[in-house]
Amino acid sequence: MTLLRIAWRNLWRGWRRSAVVLSAVAVGLCACLVLIGWSHGWVSQMADTAVSTRLSLLAVHAAGYQANPDVARALSDDGAALARALERFPGAHVSPRVLGDGLAQSARQSARIALLGVDPEREARVSMVADSFVEGGFPQATPDGVARALPGVALGRDLAETLRVRLGEKVVLHTPGENGLGAFRVSGIFHTPSAGFDKSTAFVRLEDAQRLLGIPGRVHELAIALDDRDRLPQLTAFANAELPALVPGQSLEVLSWKEREPRLAAMLGLMADTAWIAYATMFAGMAFGIANALLMSVYERMREFGVLRSLGLPARDLVWLVLLESVLLTVGGALCGVGIGAGAVALLRRTGIDLALFSESMAQFGAGARVYPELQRADFWSPVGLAFLTALLAAIWPAWHAARLRPAEALRHV
Amino acid sequence: MGETLLEARDACKVYRAGEIETLALAHIDLAVERGEFSALSGPSGSGKTTLLNLLGTLDRPTSGRIFVTGLDTTEMREAARAELRLRKLGFVFQAYNLVPVLSAIENVEFVLLLQHVDPAERRKRAQHVLDEVGLGALAEKRPNEMSGGQQQRVAVARAIASEPEIVLADEPTANLDSKTAEDLLDLMERMNRERGVTFLFSTHDPRVMARARRTIRLVDGRIASDERRRA
Repeated sequence: MTLLRIAWRNLWRGWRRSAVVLSAVAVGLCACLVLIGWSHGWVSQMADTAVSTRLSLLAVHAAGYQANPDVARALSDDGAALARALERFPGAHVSPRVLGDGLAQSARQSARIALLGVDPEREARVSMVADSFVEGGFPQATPDGVARALPGVALGRDLAETLRVRLGEKVVLHTPGENGLGAFRVSGIFHTPSAGFDKSTAFVRLEDAQRLLGIPGRVHELAIALDDRDRLPQLTAFANAELPALVPGQSLEVLSWKEREPRLAAMLGLMADTAWIAYATMFAGMAFGIANALLMSVYERMREFGVLRSLGLPARDLVWLVLLESVLLTVGGALCGVGIGAGAVALLRRTGIDLALFSESMAQFGAGARVYPELQRADFWSPVGLAFLTALLAAIWPAWHAARLRPAEALRHV
Repeated sequence: MGETLLEARDACKVYRAGEIETLALAHIDLAVERGEFSALSGPSGSGKTTLLNLLGTLDRPTSGRIFVTGLDTTEMREAARAELRLRKLGFVFQAYNLVPVLSAIENVEFVLLLQHVDPAERRKRAQHVLDEVGLGALAEKRPNEMSGGQQQRVAVARAIASEPEIVLADEPTANLDSKTAEDLLDLMERMNRERGVTFLFSTHDPRVMARARRTIRLVDGRIASDERRRA
């Protein structure tokens, strides 16, 4: 017979109240886990979109390109040797890119564009665009001997809408420079979760971009993707160690997507942090619920506590008794909450959370209309820890109140 | 003269409710000696329970001093007073006041648990005391499964299980019918005679006063009389 057993039996004695408190903890934790999962899913989807469209997980440029993305600041060759070296890293895929700004003009409209020259096969390994075509695909090589065939250009859906062009129609691309003019035929229209990307991006073949921008045989960027993204630090170290020796005459910059888009990285970090405000609010509500229930139960048993104190139970042990009751309730609530929350997240991970109503605003953030929540093992500790802390804090006042009464006062309690 | 177990020296107790002060006890001098079977009597509001609470260290006097087995408890810290109650005093309350979630034997064991008595020894002693009060067969019953008389017997068993110097009983027969009250008094008298347990009751039950060998009568918070009779 210990304090633990007495606490346990006390909980069963007022089982309705215990059930209410336990449910409050369970619902709070469950909601918290779903919220964390949703927030992680959303943030990771946005990061995913960013690194699978205009950014890449890691990029290699000529030194200074990030600060001043001048057309002339290209790598000294087509980057083939660097790409081969990078692909020695397990799970790494490399796509050389030519980058430039320009203007697209249809028979009806014109629009500013971000021009990406790519090798479609290689690009498909680092970007989600290949899987995002709603019509057609990346531009194919012009068949030999078909002298008059126009090269292809793939446009984002929003850009195609702006230009009012459809698959197979003609578009003229202008870029700064002597040879910066060319007619293209729309080979495909893509729709990614990023509205900004779809509104401005035009893909042409690598050689066409080199011709338009006047940098034959050279590229601006090696875009690198990894099968296991968690190994980015090792890949960065590998690239920094291996690449400089391959291009002795040129200095390079190796940048992760967070270094290239610090504002986006900071925003995603901020979103994850602000989610804590939601958790804290939830737990604060929970704390009042627990404190209220415990306080009521302590008041009801004041006389009983007086008896225990009369018999010689130290005030300290009485505090423990009340805290134990709170902890037991929280353990029960936490087990239920974590079980239900993890189950709900697992289910929603399969079905996704449909946010079609908000899809336009979601696209502004680079997230799709369906968010797939994600939970990692570490995500459980904070809310469960917070729940225990809340339960203890909520129980301290009732426990202290019970312990500070003189036995004679407590015995007079009706 | 026997050994003094409890002593009040010039003890006063004033209750304050806002501006109003009520004098519950006025300048009480009283000593209770080992082996006594004594009653504090008097009408309602005369200060019996208040005096019992002071002597039992459940409350502090407004002025004056309270000694338990020669130790001055007046300035003692609450933890030390709890320890003193645990080691030296036993309590029986009017409303039985058993812990409702514990069985009869667990209620008796509770004080032994607080005294850190080994579990096997604890159970043996608790069962023995329950047998002594005639409730050995009801050891596993919870308070709500027992009659008032049975609960009060468990309360007596709980009070004496830890072998205290003195048992303080606050109107122990007030909620019992005549037969049960007589049985309980028989039990306590036997404990006093056979085990040498000292008892101090607060009561206005004539049956208890008739059995007490010393009756201290309180009126308006003062000792009006203190009579002893030969056993």
